[in-house]
Amino acid sequence: MIGRMEQPQIPEKHDPRVLGLKAGLLALWAAVSFGVCFFARDLQFMVGSWPFGYWMAAQGSVLIFIAILVVYATAMKRLAPADSLPEPGSADA
Amino acid sequence: MPDSPAYATYKMRLHRRVAIYVACVIAFLLLMAWAEQAGLSRFWLGPIFMFSSVMMYAAIGISGRTTDPEEYYVAGRRIPAMYNGMAAAADWMSAASFISLAGGLYLQGFGGTDDQAGGLAYVLGWTGGFCLVGLLIAPHLRKLNLYTVPEYFGVRYGGRWPRVIAAFATMLCSFTYVVAQIYGIGLIASRLTGVQFEIGILLGLGGVLLCSFLGGMRAITWTQVAQYIILLLAFLIPVSWLAYKQLGNPAAPLVYGAQLGKISELEKKLAQDPAEKQVAAVFLQRAHEYEARLQDIEGALQRERAQARARVRALKSQGADSALIVQANRELAALPKDVPSARERWVKAMHESYERAKPLGGVPLHTQPFAGDPGGTAEEASAFTSSRRNFLALMFCLMVGTAGLPHLLTRYYTTPTVAEARSSVAWSIFFIALVYLSAPALASLVKFEVMNNLVGSSFDALPPWIAQWAKVDASLISVADVNGDHILQWGEIHLGADIIMLATPEVGGLPYVISGLVAAGGLAAALSTADGLLLTISNAIVRDVYSHEVKDRMSAEQRVILSKFALLAVALIAAAVATLKPGEILPLVTASFSLAASAFVPVMVLGIFWARANRAGAIAGMLSGLGITVYYMLLNSATFRAFFAMVPGEDLWFGIQPLSAGVFGVPTGFAVALAVSLAGGRRASLTTAQT
Repeated sequence: MIGRMEQPQIPEKHDPRVLGLKAGLLALWAAVSFGVCFFARDLQFMVGSWPFGYWMAAQGSVLIFIAILVVYATAMKRLAPADSLPEPGSADA
Repeated sequence: MPDSPAYATYKMRLHRRVAIYVACVIAFLLLMAWAEQAGLSRFWLGPIFMFSSVMMYAAIGISGRTTDPEEYYVAGRRIPAMYNGMAAAADWMSAASFISLAGGLYLQGFGGTDDQAGGLAYVLGWTGGFCLVGLLIAPHLRKLNLYTVPEYFGVRYGGRWPRVIAAFATMLCSFTYVVAQIYGIGLIASRLTGVQFEIGILLGLGGVLLCSFLGGMRAITWTQVAQYIILLLAFLIPVSWLAYKQLGNPAAPLVYGAQLGKISELEKKLAQDPAEKQVAAVFLQRAHEYEARLQDIEGALQRERAQARARVRALKSQGADSALIVQANRELAALPKDVPSARERWVKAMHESYERAKPLGGVPLHTQPFAGDPGGTAEEASAFTSSRRNFLALMFCLMVGTAGLPHLLTRYYTTPTVAEARSSVAWSIFFIALVYLSAPALASLVKFEVMNNLVGSSFDALPPWIAQWAKVDASLISVADVNGDHILQWGEIHLGADIIMLATPEVGGLPYVISGLVAAGGLAAALSTADGLLLTISNAIVRDVYSHEVKDRMSAEQRVILSKFALLAVALIAAAVATLKPGEILPLVTASFSLAASAFVPVMVLGIFWARANRAGAIAGMLSGLGITVYYMLLNSATFRAFFAMVPGEDLWFGIQPLSAGVFGVPTGFAVALAVSLAGGRRASLTTAQT
């Protein structure tokens, strides 16, 4: 335990497909948070009883954040099935 | 993934226990409601709620007691994703979220004013950050089977300094945060039970300690699940009730759009109202008076003192009522003692009066994004740019800070697998969103209630809750008949952010039981966060500093015992600092986000995704990022400037407010870590080749 602290550990290898997925989802994240808020003043048209810019900032973006994380967790179950197995040596369930 | 039969039984057992718990909570609420009907005094309801909830958390803590290191530090790594998400949500939602968020949205509208960003930036920042946690950080840390966050820096970069710096940064930002939480605990406890603020802190602290002291992460996890359920009920019941009352549908987040339009109408009406204009004129006049005094502080102070003394003398010579004389003496004593304190107080009073002289008492239009007007005069256009820039900067700091706060990241160490850690982040944001989607709804519903029903009522017929809360704390709510017409105007109400949530049940006319529940919810939010933070700090002290730097031969059990005592010590120090009432909750919390963002995130992300990031780069990156952030905050703090005899005022870069200092710290950290890693890369590989 103590011994492994002293030497740097090479970081894990990243699957390019996973990196692509992350990049795509992060782009969506940036668009609905920073993008929408930057142009919020121009997005004040009404959708039903809601001013669109306000609705996006108060609810829409949050719902999209949830979707981003759900999509990521689900997709990763397929892309990295080994992550679902309990590691050897871990405490028994 | 099909669970092993043993794990499936374990999960079944958990579901059953949580279901029984929820049933008990609801039964308790009904019992209390019945007791209130039957004539139990309000005076008792608050303390009953406080004691029974704290005792219940303590009971969970005691039943989860452990000295096993695996259980104490990471709850045995077997918490199912959903419950871990629930615990993370409670860990995450602090007193600031629960008590101040809705009020912030009420007072700041979409994005706050041009010199104070806020509003929806908090909703977005505190949820959007989880995308960074889930995509970039939590699963990668979970993969390494670590116990603390600073340990990651030791494992990835080797050597001692990255770990030690990370440990001190953990203590710095978590300590700032925990002081704010304990402050919140003291406020709520003293309001609930009417005891002194300091005793309130001690009472709440007892609950925290029983739980985290005995059982570490294992006990904390299950108390946090219990606390989440309380705080969710405490938030949703009053919001749903208000929505049902106003709109006939309890699903507040879906239907409050209808009120937004009405609020805009009322805002237009209030802005035209002649009585409101009178009130604004009075405030403008007061602001001018303060400004005149500030021209010659010394003289004005002497004049004020002379006047106050003359009043006391006059009263005494008239043989006036002793109460009047005491009052006049108190006014004399309350005058600022010296020039600097007079300047500070009058500058504040002047700003406040100017603020309240603005249309709608300085409260921005509810749904209009940002202050100012991009197409207006040069001044309006620059107000707009500054307001938008600060909104985005604040959101950035909150998001990136989320991804760096150690007490949150350790929550994902407790899942059985990496895949469960990913699902757990998704569950966390789901459970958080249940509250965060309702907060803007609550703000709108209360605003409508106040604008439509409260404003325009006579001063003789004000609802009793206003006087009650004003008595508890005058900064929560104060009303004064400024223009002397005996009618309450919007501009005459002065609200603190916290009152919106605390008074909602009374505004909506709910039974007092719900007020007790709301206070218990606020307490749960503060306690759960304080639990997680205290554990994080004490683990950083013992695991990452003491056991490496001071005494490196220690058995695992010794380390657990030492961690427990460190936790006790940290809790007491934090409580002692909190009794000094160091500031408001929200700014303290925001500051710790900026600190966490700039200290951890750049070096952590580079460490995970860039193989060439090395030790020198990590050290330089963390120190420079943190250094810039701290420097910028200090540079703009009034006390610091006064201490170094700098010109009073602020020295802003690009007009960014000091709390969002992370917006400079994070890029600096990235740039320095990159540059130093690249420059040092060749030399490091040479030395590795030689050894």
